Amino acid sequence: MSAQMSFIIDNLPNLLFGFPGQRPGGLLMSVILAIISVGIGFVLGIFVGASRGSSSRWLQGSSKIFVDIFRGLPLILLIVLVHQVLGGRRFGLDLSPMTAVLISLSLYSGAYQAEIVYSGLKAVPTQIVESARLVGGSAWQVFLKIKLRYALRVMLPAFVGQAISLFKDTSVVLIVAVPDLMTVARSVLGSDVRNLSNWVSLYLFVGLLYFIVAFSFSTLAKRWEQRLQASDLILSLAQS
Amino acid sequence: MYPGHWDIFMVPKLGMNMLYEWLTNDIISLLIRGFALTIWLSAATSVLSLIVGVFVGIVKINRDPILSRIASVFIEIHRNVPALVLIIFWAFALPSLFPLEIRKALFFDNNFMRQFEILSGLSIPYYALAAGLAITLNTSAYIAELFRAGVGTIHQEHLEASRTLGASKWIQRWQIVIPQGIRAAFPAISTRLIHNMKNTALAAFVSTPEFFHTIQTAITRSFHAVEMLLIASVVYLIISIAFANFLGWIERRLNRFPARSEA
Repeated sequence: MSAQMSFIIDNLPNLLFGFPGQRPGGLLMSVILAIISVGIGFVLGIFVGASRGSSSRWLQGSSKIFVDIFRGLPLILLIVLVHQVLGGRRFGLDLSPMTAVLISLSLYSGAYQAEIVYSGLKAVPTQIVESARLVGGSAWQVFLKIKLRYALRVMLPAFVGQAISLFKDTSVVLIVAVPDLMTVARSVLGSDVRNLSNWVSLYLFVGLLYFIVAFSFSTLAKRWEQRLQASDLILSLAQS
Repeated sequence: MYPGHWDIFMVPKLGMNMLYEWLTNDIISLLIRGFALTIWLSAATSVLSLIVGVFVGIVKINRDPILSRIASVFIEIHRNVPALVLIIFWAFALPSLFPLEIRKALFFDNNFMRQFEILSGLSIPYYALAAGLAITLNTSAYIAELFRAGVGTIHQEHLEASRTLGASKWIQRWQIVIPQGIRAAFPAISTRLIHNMKNTALAAFVSTPEFFHTIQTAITRSFHAVEMLLIASVVYLIISIAFANFLGWIERRLNRFPARSEA
């Protein structure tokens, strides 16, 4: 047991920040991947989600297809697809695994966030939109300042859930060996047979690391949400 | 550019040769077996995780504080750990805890596994079983939470009425809490079940020959990565759209007799 403990303690810096002298990896890389792709996915999601609710047939159809494709494919397949087809010989883009992973994670989270934005925009009461148009707001002004702002507030819990879910999904990048936590754990084990007894403790520890990040983030988000709700309540009381 | 550069965009001419000589019978039957395993795996894990999820959800809303605490620990663990970690843990890590002889007898070379091997045609059935178990645990934790939220929407009057009529706790659970909770949570549950279907592709990491794994094998055999991956995406898209339609059909059937809301 103590051998397993010391195995984990020896490899703790590797698991958290990647191997020394190389690019950052480990848990840090997982978090970086999640943050970048949630960010890009957010922008994508707003564009696609808004065009799903638009009046143009063409925009509606194409955004529906976008969402259906990237929500219908397993993430693991999407990563391999981007890496080998888009980055393959036929298109000659020669993507590094890292770029391929970022592209596919962004598309994946963008599709999920588009769905959230779409349902959030649908939840905006029509009276607010109509009265904003009546007092002379242009279509863009109403969309940006009224609809989107209202919808973002409604969508917040769903966004947080999606971000946490994406953070866990980054474990899949093991398939193209981007040095995230899963990949580092795999390479820490190596092919040494003597390491066989370390598998259980290592994967328990890796699970614990994922758990700590995901759970603490969701707990913080819940608390933040409650505070927002409380401030909403106080505002509405003050205004009434 | 090399000859045949754009051949994937061309409509195949009719004729034996044109249906691509790399798409041999071996590869086609391999892919069909993988496809069947994916369907089996997602069906089995969906049904099992519904059962386990509803059970855990029921335990969580129990008044007994210890049971409820245990259920929420189960839920939080399996929701906050990636499915891939769970799969690798159950399939690869757990057996390596035991010395060789015991490991063999426990996980790989016993009567049950041999029977299962004959039944399923898998070469190492334990990996597939472990992956199925891990995926089930992951999805059931999500379903338990969704079910619990669905139970929250049940009208208290309904429960009180049944209590007045002398219904026991078990009848209440069986006839009111479970059906109405599932019905209220079903849209969210069906999204999760589609996610569950996509998660079965992760079983490829523990050498379970499901569809994604057979696609990878086919790539190494035929060297036609692009075509194989496009086949895989079309197939997965068809599966998920068909599954979504199927779940939508179930949802419409569940809502045939909508609960009457008080006027």
